[in-house]
Amino acid sequence: MMTANEFEFGIDDFIAISTVLTGYSRAELLGTGCAEEYWHQFRRVTPEHILVEFLENAAKLDRMQATDPQAVAEEIRSRYLSSEKFGPLARTLIQLWYLGQWVPLPHAWRRSFGASRFDVARVISVLAYKEGLVWDAIGAHPVGAKQQGFGSWAEAPPKGGV
Amino acid sequence: MNTPLDDEETYDVVIVGAGIAGGILSKQLLARGRRVLILEAGADHGDDWKTYRGYLDQFYLTLAKVPNSPYPNLPTAPSPSVLDISSVHGTAPDNNGYFVQRGPMPFGSDYLRAYGGTTLHWLGTSLRMLPADFETNSRYGQGIDWPITYKDLLPYYEKAEWEIGVSAEVEQQTPEALGIHLARPRDGDGYYSEGYQFPMHAIPCSYSDNYFAKGADGTPISTGYRTDFADKSEPGLDVVKIKVSSTPQGRNSTPRAPLEENGGFSVGGERVEPFKPRGATGSFAFTGQRCEGNSACIPICPIQAKYNAMKTLADARALAENTTRKPNGADEPDESNARVADIEKSFRIRTQAIASRVELDVNNRVSGIVYKSYLFPGVPQYELRRARGTVYVLAGGAIENSTLALASGLCRSSQELGRNLMDHPYMMAWGLARDPIGAFRGPNSTAGIESFRDGAFRDQKAAFRLEIGNSGWDFAAGAPYSDVKNLVENDNLFGPELRKRLYHYVQRQVRIGVLVEQPPDASNKVTIDPAYVDAMGEFRPIISYDISDYSRAGLALGHNACMQVFQRLGVKNYTAYNPSDNGYLTYDGSGYTVYGAGHLVGTHRIGNNPKTSVTRPDMRTHDHDNLWMVGCGSMPTAATSNPTLTMAAMAFQAAEAIDRALS
Repeated sequence: MMTANEFEFGIDDFIAISTVLTGYSRAELLGTGCAEEYWHQFRRVTPEHILVEFLENAAKLDRMQATDPQAVAEEIRSRYLSSEKFGPLARTLIQLWYLGQWVPLPHAWRRSFGASRFDVARVISVLAYKEGLVWDAIGAHPVGAKQQGFGSWAEAPPKGGV
Repeated sequence: MNTPLDDEETYDVVIVGAGIAGGILSKQLLARGRRVLILEAGADHGDDWKTYRGYLDQFYLTLAKVPNSPYPNLPTAPSPSVLDISSVHGTAPDNNGYFVQRGPMPFGSDYLRAYGGTTLHWLGTSLRMLPADFETNSRYGQGIDWPITYKDLLPYYEKAEWEIGVSAEVEQQTPEALGIHLARPRDGDGYYSEGYQFPMHAIPCSYSDNYFAKGADGTPISTGYRTDFADKSEPGLDVVKIKVSSTPQGRNSTPRAPLEENGGFSVGGERVEPFKPRGATGSFAFTGQRCEGNSACIPICPIQAKYNAMKTLADARALAENTTRKPNGADEPDESNARVADIEKSFRIRTQAIASRVELDVNNRVSGIVYKSYLFPGVPQYELRRARGTVYVLAGGAIENSTLALASGLCRSSQELGRNLMDHPYMMAWGLARDPIGAFRGPNSTAGIESFRDGAFRDQKAAFRLEIGNSGWDFAAGAPYSDVKNLVENDNLFGPELRKRLYHYVQRQVRIGVLVEQPPDASNKVTIDPAYVDAMGEFRPIISYDISDYSRAGLALGHNACMQVFQRLGVKNYTAYNPSDNGYLTYDGSGYTVYGAGHLVGTHRIGNNPKTSVTRPDMRTHDHDNLWMVGCGSMPTAATSNPTLTMAAMAFQAAEAIDRALS
């Protein structure tokens, strides 16, 4: 275990990078009630030194979103999505929030950065299924939950796409 | 040698299978004062709220949300799973799951062995057959004629619709209103009895249904050349016009009020009270009295607004409670062991009881059913017992009925037992509409295109119906999961752009299902072999299955119809059939992929001739005087309607016949 001095990042940074990657606000992400579970899962799979690096700029990027989204997007693409180390983690993290599922990291990543026995495909929890961001994003509701009411399906779909 | 223990109680009727057929039979026979025992191989009383919530949680937690995903697949009473299907190569059978598949095509349908049966995951579509469907052989030279006609079944259709609780409007469901180009227009006369009404009003059509109706209604589709059956506007062609119609559904909407105060309705020649929607069974009875749009009919309606057989079974139990109640003046419900035993003398459902052998006496009458009663669903250990009754009924579904009857050496006069297995080969067409159409909202399907369910073309090509889906590309491509994966992993999107693209991509997804008629074929069959048994030593079904050119011709026409609808609406076509798909087949130089529709029909068809049918028109077996076989297996042909309603109607007929036999 690292000491508090060595590792000063926590769930706040996890939420911060998650807001940038998912396009959902901090309030929306916390509102799912799943942040703790996801943070726990993410931490279990990611070796600590990689986790530290992954979260290092999170708070700054989150703050910059309001003022300079162009620069944030540039940074996400250059530092995260196109990185051998961070790319797979970022893509799995996005899908974690959107689907409530853990999408296992690619074999190449595991070989280079370490395999975890927690890195297996699964729906994190009943709540995680229902709170998957995809249902909101597509203007619907989780299949089998949060029903919209009798006849709602006859109405025009909500205007969406942020 | 393991000797079965005899059950203490002897019943009037012993039924194998606690599904919709078993439910209707029990309820009808109890209402006539008969005493009934049901043996159900599966476990988990879904009528206990804890179990049903367990089913729901299992659905949420499963990665592949296939029809059987919420329900436990017991080692003691396994169910087939669509996830076990693979292509069958060469002569080695596919042995992946519960079924042993001999091919050449994989049989793509599943069912559920549990209390309530496969109605737990059915869609709820409740269509009647058409008059022509009962005589396809004499009219079109295809399949076989039924020993009964549409008119014979008509009053029972009404009873079945009121038992299930079907939501629809009569005036929207006549063959004419459905835009069916009847080969004999007079078939449409009296399709509904004078003054008949469905128990509940139609379920509203989805926004996407209306999009299809507005854009595609009236689109002419040529079925092939038939100079003697020509449309005047296009001489020489038999043309069917697309008509999108609301689908009658076994899910609760608004009950119909009678025209006058204190009035009733006429159902199957009897006067009945206005329909009272039944919600969930057990202590969640306050939910499910009306559909709320959970969009999860398959695999599980969370609130049970969709009909399932547990409702009929609960009614049956209530009847047993009423008839055995002694006037003791107490308001408190008596739940003592003595009281339960009293009720169980009248009606008992034994779950975790696998019917293993039907025993015959010297007169070829059934003398008992030996069953394996197991304590723990995960442990293949059992006690061998014997149930006795006066009349016996196999109501475990087309395939389980056949394996049990074959294992017991029953019904040998004809060679038809286990043969003529049918389904509705199910093919999909999918694409992107130009505008958002509201995918993933509402019951999985609320409308269809019924225009191709009859017509002169049936002498060359199978009839079919088109089902308009409300759940995007879920069955077709695993949406919306696959869309998230694609946009993140292939399109390299993130943040607001990902969110926006997901909306525009998924919201425009449309999907049409083609369900094509499959005529009976002796080589499509269920057999058994001692080499293939399950953990309890019971025979696993061995299935040989293929899809004939007649059905393939129907599929090809269905595909063309979908493409023309897409062209008319400007839908961007994404339909793709891959030669590596398990259900890939070719016809006339083109390839298509088919799945099962879960409509398991045939195997013990009714008929007047004991040489060509297994059961008589009233579903009593030709060979065994006190044995009935009831269910979709009784149907000589599958036509184009989802079979549950027809099977339910036939179960009402069978109940009357059994009651007469007992008198």
